[in-house]
Amino acid sequence: MSTYKIPVGPQHPAIKEAFQFNFELDGEIIVNVKPRLGFVHRGIEKGMELRSWVQGIYLSERICGICNVPHTTCYCIAVEKLHDVDVPKRAQYLRIIINELNRIHSHLLWLGVLGMELGFLTFYMYVWRDRERVMDLVELISGNRVTPSMNFIGGVVYDITPKMEMAIKKGMDYLEERTKYYKSVVLNEPTIKVRTENIGVLNKSAATDLCAVGPVARASDLKTDVRFDDPYSSYDEIPFNLVTYSYCDVFARVLVRVDEVLESINIIRECLDKLPSGPIMKKLKRTPPPGESTVRVEAPRGELMYYVKSDGKENPYRVKIRTPTLANIPAVCEMLKGYHIADIPAIIASIDPCYCCTERILFIDKARNKRWIWSHSQLRKYSLEWYENGGRR
Amino acid sequence: MTTISREEFILKELKLAFNDKILESRIAAPRYIYVTVNKETVIPLVKFLKENFGLRHIVTITGTDFGEYIELIYHLAIYGRTLMVNVKTKVPKDDPEIESIVKLLPGATLYEREVHDLLGVVFTGHPNLERLILPDDWPEGVYPLRKDWKMEGT
Amino acid sequence: MADPIISLIQILIFPGLIFLFILGLIFEWIDRKVFARFQNRIGPLYTGPRGFLQPLADFIKLLTKEDVTPRYVDKFLFNLLPGIAPVLPVFASFYLPLNGYPILHPFEGDLILIITLMTIYTIIVFMAGWVSTNRFSSIGAARAILQFLGFEIPMFISLASVAIDSASLSITYIADHQPIPYILLQPLGFIIFLIALQAELERVPFDIPEAESEIVAGWLTEYSGPKLAFFRLSNNLMLVFGAGLTTAIFLGGGSGPILPPIIWYLIKMVFVVILSTILRTVFARLRIDQVLSGAWRYLIPLAILQLILAKFLAVLVM
Repeated sequence: MSTYKIPVGPQHPAIKEAFQFNFELDGEIIVNVKPRLGFVHRGIEKGMELRSWVQGIYLSERICGICNVPHTTCYCIAVEKLHDVDVPKRAQYLRIIINELNRIHSHLLWLGVLGMELGFLTFYMYVWRDRERVMDLVELISGNRVTPSMNFIGGVVYDITPKMEMAIKKGMDYLEERTKYYKSVVLNEPTIKVRTENIGVLNKSAATDLCAVGPVARASDLKTDVRFDDPYSSYDEIPFNLVTYSYCDVFARVLVRVDEVLESINIIRECLDKLPSGPIMKKLKRTPPPGESTVRVEAPRGELMYYVKSDGKENPYRVKIRTPTLANIPAVCEMLKGYHIADIPAIIASIDPCYCCTERILFIDKARNKRWIWSHSQLRKYSLEWYENGGRR
Repeated sequence: MTTISREEFILKELKLAFNDKILESRIAAPRYIYVTVNKETVIPLVKFLKENFGLRHIVTITGTDFGEYIELIYHLAIYGRTLMVNVKTKVPKDDPEIESIVKLLPGATLYEREVHDLLGVVFTGHPNLERLILPDDWPEGVYPLRKDWKMEGT
Repeated sequence: MADPIISLIQILIFPGLIFLFILGLIFEWIDRKVFARFQNRIGPLYTGPRGFLQPLADFIKLLTKEDVTPRYVDKFLFNLLPGIAPVLPVFASFYLPLNGYPILHPFEGDLILIITLMTIYTIIVFMAGWVSTNRFSSIGAARAILQFLGFEIPMFISLASVAIDSASLSITYIADHQPIPYILLQPLGFIIFLIALQAELERVPFDIPEAESEIVAGWLTEYSGPKLAFFRLSNNLMLVFGAGLTTAIFLGGGSGPILPPIIWYLIKMVFVVILSTILRTVFARLRIDQVLSGAWRYLIPLAILQLILAKFLAVLVM
């Protein structure tokens, strides 16, 4: 029987961001997958080279809307390594707290999205309502709901007062109760189970060979977590569990993330109890000395890496960013083979894709071998002419 | 008996196996090693790490333009991804060619394509070195991450 | 025979076309509101009291949108099908004893006629997807037919067991001769019928032919503007008809104390709609193969069991 091709993306309800998977189907069964990236490249790596070190923090924060905190954490640690300084202990703990709040927010968001991909809208609505609570806490600390702009080279910008501490603890109690409830829903709801169990199986050796990272790898029983493997920012002083499951399917990825939310809640409590006193920021020179540094951070989606090279000038010489979604794309292509069209949303969602993380490098329109930037009115004129000519080149 | 750290142990082993082919090496921080080699040595080095230190994970490949040459850094993670060995090598800019490591590390597929797209390094032996990131109508031979490519209006 | 003017009023206004149309919109509002409240949302709010007029506003809005016919579709069918689709549930509803007595004269075997109409409706859905020549539409259309294979049979068997018990194939006769409603006599049949109805109406967990996150809008993908309005309208009318049929067969139609039959009928229909909405709220979408194997493995044997039980019941009553 011949196969036929179906494109999913760049615009498709299952994928909120511009990304394309070209599926080769045999009936309802997927035979082959080809990913295509690059629809929303913004040229951030190049952009970093054109900006100053401090501006780089805010540019890196805008790589991804959801997991922005690990990006700034990673960038700041990399620059601090170039300076060869350690930030104050209190700042390190505050970084952990804001990172874990970000992880809870990201995982809950993902859980809701999964509910939506499975057509379970009620679940989605409930989870997202409780996600509001985390965003309220982030707002309490920093004044922003999603992008806290907390990290700075040399420490953090906002401190946590005892009053905030109380509010965070209260919020954690509430979230723990809700997350446990959602876990019981996931474990007991038959329609979620039949749609996720034994779907998108990625066994342990494939996960290792394809370099899967983060919750995807941990759901395939791979004990890997940068917070353990390569502790940064005092993560080695906080006791917590490494969550792994051996089912290797979408169901395991759900459980890993739900359990990680519970772990994060415990980490935040632990940090608040142990929170040392002292300054939250160390003043550093504006430009770091020449050198290079590589830093890995565990983002909600997995291992995030920054390579920063300085030549002693105003701007970084090179900033390389490797985001977790890019690392998981070979894995997701492998997972999809042999499953149904109906499984596509659940499987793609199961790696928690974040394409705006993955894609960072394109900027101006460069059709026809010429470089130029269009103003809005020029673009409009061009589009009108295009359609007058019947929409063809 | 003096105990030596894992980082020192690895460097010692590498120097034993490759002696003068290791052009430069340093321990930058705990768990971070930098090794500089010629481009011909990358494949044997990766093979050596794979056979002796359980290398399965590649974090990414960084390409940096340094004027007359392009520096490639293979960020490799060994010991269950706890220790990073950053293998540096240089390829000349007018003939940027290097052998692909996809056969040894299948996870490097997309990273090699990314570097190929943005810096124009040709990885020989790569199964499918087509466009990954740049749009389909992007002109051939223009590599945006090279330093001689300037963004308009800056 | 009644006065032709009265007949005309019955067909056009009450309980005919306009009544059914309004009922369809009201049921959509109830469905949306209940669905939203279950999800911790408010639902339609601004148009009319408590958003009551929102479905009408949506309908009018869609009618005013641009009417697009894609270049490569079968233009004749593509334009024709949205017009045919609402006719079927309306025609079928004319055989429901909404006001104690149906608009069209009931006859022995009208149950079979409306079953046929429901089947034709599925085929229209299939054709609507197929003529769109869109890949998502084609998949949606194929899924609609597959789902039809799974659910029509248990649905018909559960209807047949009621028919056997009451020894009639006339909806009006069945509705009128229920000293104890069949929901109590044949609860299994009622549950099977409700599940199958959920699939017929393409509601969660059986909204597979138009699964948004998988195949965009399924068979509806290419339809927009007035055509979409008419498909949505026909979907609402199917909800009215489905609730009406359930009420007639399993809940004893318009029978009830004090209030006139039409009020009782409406109350029971709203009950069915809310039941269907609750089902929609608490489940995730299933996969087409899971639905089919579930239907053939569980629903059909259970429906046959109900049929056998109904036979015994009929013998006992005799």
